[in-house]
Amino acid sequence: MAAGAGILLPAPPAAAQSMSSTERELLALAMDAARSAGADYADGRVIRTQFEAVGAREQMITQVQSTDSYGLNIRALVGGSWGFAATQDFSRDAVTRTAQEAVAIARANNEVAPSTTVLAPVDSFPNADWVTPHSIDPFTIPIEDKAALLLRVNEEALRVNNIRFASTSILSVKEERLLATTEGSVVRQTLMRINPSINITAISPDGSDFQTRSAVVEPAGRGYEYVMGLELAANAQGWAEEAAMKLDAPGVEPGKWDLVLHPSNLWLTIHENIGHPTELDRALGFEANYAGTSFIYPPEDVIGKLRMGPEFLQFEGNRTEFGGCATTGWDDEGVPAESWPIIKDGLFVDYQTTREQAAWISQYTGIERSHGCSYGQNWESMPFQRMPNVSMLPGEANLSENDVIAATERGILIEGRGSYSIDQQRYNIQFGGQVFWEIRNGRKFQMLRDVAYVGRTPEFWNSLDVIGGAQTYYLGASFGDAKGQPIQVNAVSHGCPISLFRDIDIINTA
Amino acid sequence: MAEAKGLSESDIRALCDTVMRLSQADHCRVNVESGWRGYTRVATNRITSAGGADRTAITITSVFGKRVASISTNSIEGQALEAAVRQSESMARLAPESPEYMPELGPQSFMPNQGYYDSTGELEPLTRAEAAAIAIQQAEAAGQIAASYMDVRAGTSAVATSAGLFGAHAGTGVAYTLTSRTRDGLQSGWAGDEANDWNQIESQRVAVDAVRKCRNWRKTPLEPGQYTAILEPTAVGMLMLRMRNAFNQRLADEGRSYFSRTGGGNRLGEQLFDDRVTLLSDPAYGDAEVAPFTDEGQAREPTTWVSSGRLTNLSRPRFWADQLGESPLPGPGNFIMAGGDDSLDEMIASTERGVLITRFWYIRGLNPRSISYTGLTRDGTFLIENGRISRPVTNFRFNQSLVEMLQNVEMLGPSVRVAASENSSVSTPIVVPTLKVSNFNLSSISDAI
Repeated sequence: MAAGAGILLPAPPAAAQSMSSTERELLALAMDAARSAGADYADGRVIRTQFEAVGAREQMITQVQSTDSYGLNIRALVGGSWGFAATQDFSRDAVTRTAQEAVAIARANNEVAPSTTVLAPVDSFPNADWVTPHSIDPFTIPIEDKAALLLRVNEEALRVNNIRFASTSILSVKEERLLATTEGSVVRQTLMRINPSINITAISPDGSDFQTRSAVVEPAGRGYEYVMGLELAANAQGWAEEAAMKLDAPGVEPGKWDLVLHPSNLWLTIHENIGHPTELDRALGFEANYAGTSFIYPPEDVIGKLRMGPEFLQFEGNRTEFGGCATTGWDDEGVPAESWPIIKDGLFVDYQTTREQAAWISQYTGIERSHGCSYGQNWESMPFQRMPNVSMLPGEANLSENDVIAATERGILIEGRGSYSIDQQRYNIQFGGQVFWEIRNGRKFQMLRDVAYVGRTPEFWNSLDVIGGAQTYYLGASFGDAKGQPIQVNAVSHGCPISLFRDIDIINTA
Repeated sequence: MAEAKGLSESDIRALCDTVMRLSQADHCRVNVESGWRGYTRVATNRITSAGGADRTAITITSVFGKRVASISTNSIEGQALEAAVRQSESMARLAPESPEYMPELGPQSFMPNQGYYDSTGELEPLTRAEAAAIAIQQAEAAGQIAASYMDVRAGTSAVATSAGLFGAHAGTGVAYTLTSRTRDGLQSGWAGDEANDWNQIESQRVAVDAVRKCRNWRKTPLEPGQYTAILEPTAVGMLMLRMRNAFNQRLADEGRSYFSRTGGGNRLGEQLFDDRVTLLSDPAYGDAEVAPFTDEGQAREPTTWVSSGRLTNLSRPRFWADQLGESPLPGPGNFIMAGGDDSLDEMIASTERGVLITRFWYIRGLNPRSISYTGLTRDGTFLIENGRISRPVTNFRFNQSLVEMLQNVEMLGPSVRVAASENSSVSTPIVVPTLKVSNFNLSSISDAI
C-alpha cells in the first residue's frame, strides 16, 4: 500500500470550523422550502471559499491578493430532473425564494424533457465534521513571511549562470462547507490546499534561445507545514541549473525509446488517460459537448473485461489519501469518503460515481452505493461527478529509482510535467516534461531537450514493464482539473511509483 | 431599454465612493463585477442541469507607497465591506515594495459602446429550455444523441480610483453550442454560435448543422501529413484566441517571444505574415463589444496588431512603457481577424485534396518562439477530393506553428463571431474568417470520435 493511500483518516476536532448555527438554520429553511415547493429530494450548501495568492518575480513582489466568496445554493430534484439556484443574499426571504427557484427550474426541465433519476442509498449523518489534517493553517502565516520565502528562492535561482528570470508564488485555498440534505444529513467540513509554484527561465548569452524549468514541486491538500518541508530556497539553485543545462542539451532523436517516467511526470499522464476515461458521466455521454467521452465504454463490455495493462497494474480511486487534493470526509451529497479499485490486476473493474450514477452500472459492478465523487467548486456551482484522487499502487518487489533506471539499456528518464494534450476520448496522447535524461546501459548519460512521448493509451499502458516500490511513490497534483458547463475546476492528486515503459514513440518538439 | 442585470451604474458608483471614503491607504482602486449568469445543459437528449445566480464581487486594491495588495469579496454590505477595506490595507502594509507599481490613473476619457442587449439580459430560462428542446428534437429525429450548452451573462463591470477615475460598462453575452452523436458512437458533429445579442444566435441553424455534420457515414482513415486545410471559423477562432496573447512587447524585448529580435529588441515593423493577414482589436466592434477600459482603468482604443502581414503594434504595460519612454498600450480586449470574400463552397471547389476541420480540442503550447501549438480535431473532420467533400475521416493531432499558418494563407471568408472557448462559455469575443491554408501539419491519427 502506498504512503497513506487508502487509509481513512480520523476526523480532526470540529473546533477549527466556523460555519455557525445561523447557517444551519438557513439550510434547514431551504430544505423545508424546497420540499414545500414540491421537490422529491433537495440538498443545499453554504460555502465560503478563500484564496490567498502571493507572487514574486525576481526581486519584486508582483501579487498580494486575497479572494473571499460566500454564498448558498440549493439543488432540487422534481421527477427525474434537477434544478439549481444560488444566492449571496442570506436573508430568510432570499433563501426561501432561491429554494423555490431551484424547484421551479427542475419542474420546468422535467416538463420539457422528462427523465428518470434514482439516487443510490446513503446513510444519514446528522452532525458530521471533518477538517483537512494540518499543523499550520496557511492563512495564519503572515504575507511578509511568504513573500520573503519567494524572494529568497528567486535570489538563489538567479545566482546561476544564464538565469535571467524567476517567478514564484504560493496559492493557499480554504473551503468552509456546510451541507444539508432532505434525507437528514448535515455535514460541516473545512478543506485546505496549498500550491507553491516556481518557474525559472534561462536565456542563452546571444539571446537566441530560452529554456524554462517549472513544476518542480506539487500542490497538496495539506497545511503550510508542507511548504516549509519542501526546502524551496535550498533546492532553487539545483532547479535553476537544470534550466541552464537545457540551453546546451542536444535535441532528442525522434523514434522508439524506452521511457522511465518519474512520478513527477507520470502523475499527470495518469490524470489524463486513467483518471478522465474512468469518469462514468464522461463514458455515458454527459460531457460530449465539452470534456468529451471515453474509450472505456460501454460499461457492460468493459467492466471486468478490458485489459488496461500488465497483471501487476493496480489503480485505486480514493478520497482518503493523506495530502490528496481531492481528499475529504464526505462528498457534496453526504457520501462518506472511501477508496475502491478502478484497475485490478490489469483489468478495468469500476468507474468513478455519484449517487445518481451508481445505479447505472450496479448490475455490472454489484455495487449499489456511490463512490462519493460529487463536488461543486463553490456556492455558485451545481455539484456533479468530479475526479477523486486516482493513484497507482507501487510494486511489491520494492525496486528503487536506480533499480528501474538500471533495467533500461537505451531510454529517456522524464521528470516533471510539461505540455500535455490528449483527445476527447483519451486515446491519442502527446505529453512533454521538464527535464529529460538519456539513459545508456542502465545509467543516466546526458540531458536532452525538446522531448514529447506520443501514442495510444491502451498500448501505452500495456507497454509498462517495470515499476518501482513504495520508496519511489510520489503524490502529484493539479489545482486545475476542468470539466462541466459552466466549467468548474477541481483539485486532484495522483500517486504513483517510478515506471518503465518499453518502445514508446518519441518526437522532437522544437 | 431594460435596466442592466446586477447593480445599476449609480449603485456601483455609490459603492465605489463608499470604499474611497473608508480607505485610509495612500491610493486605492476598486473593481466591481455585478450581474447574472444563467445556463442550460443537455446531455443524452435530456436537460441535465440548469440554473442561475446573481453575483456582485468587488476587488479593493490598497497602496501604501509602493506596497500593494488586493482583496476580492462578494460580501459588500456595511461592516463586511469595511472589514474588506481594512484587510486589503493590512495586507498592503505587510507586502514588500513592488518596484514596478505605477500610480493610480486619474480621470480618463473612454469611448462608450453599447454592449448590453436586452434580448440577452431579459432571456428567460424557458427560452433557453426551448432552444434545448429544438436540439433534442432535431437529434432524435435523426436517431442521434444531443449534448448542448447555453451560457448567458449580463451585467456591469466598473473601475474607480482614488485619483478620481471612474468607468462603467454594461455588457451581455450568450454562447450556444451543440454536439450531436450517433447512438453507436461512431460519428459526431458540432455547431455553435456566440454573440452579445441573443437575436444573433441561430439556434435552429446550430441544430441543423450539428446533426448534418454527424450524418451516419463511417469514418475512414487518412494518413497523417501536411494537408491543405480549410479551417471553419470556430477552428480559426480557437487558434486566434491563443495568438491574441503573443502581442506582448515586454516578452519580445526580453527575448521570450517569436517577436523577439535575435541580439535584442523586437520585430515591430517587419513583414511577418501573408499580406492578407490583418489582426486588430476594437472595443466597439459590433456584437463583439468589450469594456472600453482595462482593470487598471486604461482606455482601450481600436488597435491594429498586424496590418497586411506587417507587425504594427505590441502591447506595453504601463511600467514597461515607462521604462521605454513610450506610451502604454493595453493588450487586446476582443480580437478580430479581417476577412475576405471567398465562400466556403469556393474554398472546397478550389481544393484538389485537403481536409475540412470544424473545431479543435485540448490546444496546448509547444514553443513560444514559433508560436506553435498542439491539439486535436474534433466533431467534424472531412476529406476534400477534387473540389468536393468526399468522406468523413478520423480525427488528427496537429503540431503547427501559428506563424507558419498565417504565412500559408490561400483564401479567406467573411469574418464572424465564434464560440472560441473549448468549454463553450461566453469568452473573449473572437471574430474570424474561414481560412484555407496550405501545409497544415496533421501529425498523427486520433481514434477519438
